[in-house]
Amino acid sequence: MTVPDKRSAGSPPAGSPSAAPGRGAGGRRVPRNLHPLAWWTWAIALATAASRTTNPLLLLLVLAVLGYVVTARRSEAPWARGFTYYLWVALTVVAIRVLFRCVFATGITPSDHLLFSLPHIPTPAWYAGIRIGGPVSLEATLSAAFDGLRLACLICCIGAANTLANPKRALRVLPGALYELGVAVTVSLSVAPQLVQSVQRVSRARRLRAGGRKGVRALRGIVVPVLEDALERSLHLAAAMDSRGYGRAGTASRRSRRTTGALMLLGMCGLCAGVYGLLDGTAPAALGLPAFLAGAVLCVAGLLLGGRRVRRTTYRPDRWRAAEWGVAGCGVTAAVLLFATVGYDATDLNPSLYPLTWPTLPLVPVLALLLAGAAGVVSPPPGRTPEPAGDPRSTGDTRSTRTARTTSEVST
Amino acid sequence: MSGGPGTRLGRLSGAAALTFALACGGVAVSTAPAAAAPLPMDQCTTTSGVVLAVDFGKWGGPLLRSCGTTPTTGYALLNQGGWKTTGTGHDGPAFICRIGYSGFQGGKQFPTPDQEKCVLTPPATAYWSYWHADPGQNTWSYSQLGAMLYQPKPGSVDLWIFGGTNIEGTEGRPTFSPDSVRAHNSSPGGQPADPGQGTAGGSGGSTASGGTGGGGSGTGSGGSTGSTGSTGSTGGSGTGTGTGRAPAPAKPPAGGARPPAPTPPAGAGTAGTPEDGVTPPGAPEPTEVPATPVPVEPPTAAPTDTPSEQPTPPTDAVAAPTATPAVPGGVQNAPPMADASHDSGSMLPAVIGSVLVVVLGVATVITARRRRRGAE
Repeated sequence: MTVPDKRSAGSPPAGSPSAAPGRGAGGRRVPRNLHPLAWWTWAIALATAASRTTNPLLLLLVLAVLGYVVTARRSEAPWARGFTYYLWVALTVVAIRVLFRCVFATGITPSDHLLFSLPHIPTPAWYAGIRIGGPVSLEATLSAAFDGLRLACLICCIGAANTLANPKRALRVLPGALYELGVAVTVSLSVAPQLVQSVQRVSRARRLRAGGRKGVRALRGIVVPVLEDALERSLHLAAAMDSRGYGRAGTASRRSRRTTGALMLLGMCGLCAGVYGLLDGTAPAALGLPAFLAGAVLCVAGLLLGGRRVRRTTYRPDRWRAAEWGVAGCGVTAAVLLFATVGYDATDLNPSLYPLTWPTLPLVPVLALLLAGAAGVVSPPPGRTPEPAGDPRSTGDTRSTRTARTTSEVST
Repeated sequence: MSGGPGTRLGRLSGAAALTFALACGGVAVSTAPAAAAPLPMDQCTTTSGVVLAVDFGKWGGPLLRSCGTTPTTGYALLNQGGWKTTGTGHDGPAFICRIGYSGFQGGKQFPTPDQEKCVLTPPATAYWSYWHADPGQNTWSYSQLGAMLYQPKPGSVDLWIFGGTNIEGTEGRPTFSPDSVRAHNSSPGGQPADPGQGTAGGSGGSTASGGTGGGGSGTGSGGSTGSTGSTGSTGGSGTGTGTGRAPAPAKPPAGGARPPAPTPPAGAGTAGTPEDGVTPPGAPEPTEVPATPVPVEPPTAAPTDTPSEQPTPPTDAVAAPTATPAVPGGVQNAPPMADASHDSGSMLPAVIGSVLVVVLGVATVITARRRRRGAE
């Protein structure tokens, strides 16, 4: 495995003047890696759209779209092979949701189709709200499964973003004022891809050592090295970032740093609450827009204040071109269409299970999701892959190489 | 991970298939062990059965009341004998978002979809609130449990009204008393709460006056429904109300208990109009129900006897004389009916959706193959 960063350099030399941007000689698009923010925007928008519905057909369509786009546009980098892991996590979520619904089987109506019965543990009257065990109905199971499927879709969307975008290049778009929070942001952005990589490396090493055990017993052999590996790499990454000026105060005084930090933190809290209020229909209306606006204002103030005092240059910046607009636009349009509820009924997004009916397939949301899938066509093919996938490196590689790689990955 | 993706994907899909099979496999179609059953209204007495009362006054309807056997839940009571509810997408069936009755506007459920989507939890200002009155109790208590968990006592009344309340249920109380809707029979089968009984406390109020007022007409229909004379004389309801209202001696006690809120003029108007009219359904309201002059079916008919569309219920409407100030839209009995049939929709969208997903899946597999070949 060579330095993965080279792949992202697969984009044509920044200045390639003659040809139209993104187009090669024969009309074939030049492979390049998109701006990471484009994929993140696309994925988050798709997740927003998915959070609107419990219609199993639409949710499966979301998964299919994700699968297609990831397969078509992921690079060959280590973090880009991890989509299956996210799928497993998603499946686990659905299974847990269904399991809990079966065990805490409240809300069985007389007309339900019963699947089977679990032993019922009687609860006292003052505990009437919770019922443990008892009959399990098809309706309840399906409603739990669809609810879980929605969460599974959200997880897969984030997984797709992690798979499609280089997590470390995503850090480079961090605004200057956020550099102080850089370590936290780094960890939160890269923990999932890093875990995936670690699992892959450890299991490869195990296979090389003919560690043949499978299943639960193999787990101990995997978990400990994986955790150790992930931690170690995080520290290396932090060190590498530190050497590149992240987290440096620059010329700022202690007070202005404090102010910036407080403004940013408050702003982020406001943004979080605001987004929650806007997206969740059950949240009080007063929470949504005001909190969002207040948070945005605070954040902008913090960014301005922080950006004033730190000046940083970027080496080989990612550029935002037509393909980026296209990908982000596909996702955002899908989200907007699913939120607008124009041209279809809101109940189509949440089909009734009591009584059981076949889900409907509203046209507009389907088109919206297919439009999101068009991102797989709009975007150029991923950057060149210098070598075939299976590389025999194991966790046994020396610390120095690893450090070197880590630092180069984060090169700014 | 040589050859990993393929086998892994296979395993993944295998696991998914297993989950789905577990979910759908062995769909033993059986009904929940709910022994609750609907009863004709005259089978409810002061000590047995539960009276279910639902106020459709907001949609120009009457206050309908039914009867059910006792080991039951509020939910089961509200989903039998032609009654049907809809939950919300957010909270499931346990949240009563819509209520419909086969005999009222053809089983249409209220509030209608354009009034309330029933996707999220309805606001506290417009929802079906749930009230109880235990036997002998003449005040409504706001239910502290959901319909699926609450088990009504024999002889009690379960009331659903549409409107707004606060969390404690101290505001938005019903404007009429439990006695105006509860059963006053002492024994099933319709020993009318004879006028004499009416004087015994306020509880007798409604029926007592009904007995007197509707007496004349009651006999008319009584021919057909001998036993139901108690419930107020089918067909005679109109006259019953008209005459019984004013002079009803039993009124005062009940009237004292309830706030004088004769808000909707519907009650008064209706009481007036059908006064002379011999229209069998004393149904005061613009329900389509009375439009079809259905032959008076014996109210004692077995449940589910009637075809669901037959809007018969108002025919044996009780001549609720208390209706005037108390229950704005008037009280009517809702006999057990067949459930409104529901169609489970078309399978076509599901098929189309699956085809779409499969097509995308095939595209994914082809892309993956091409990539792998390209990498080699």
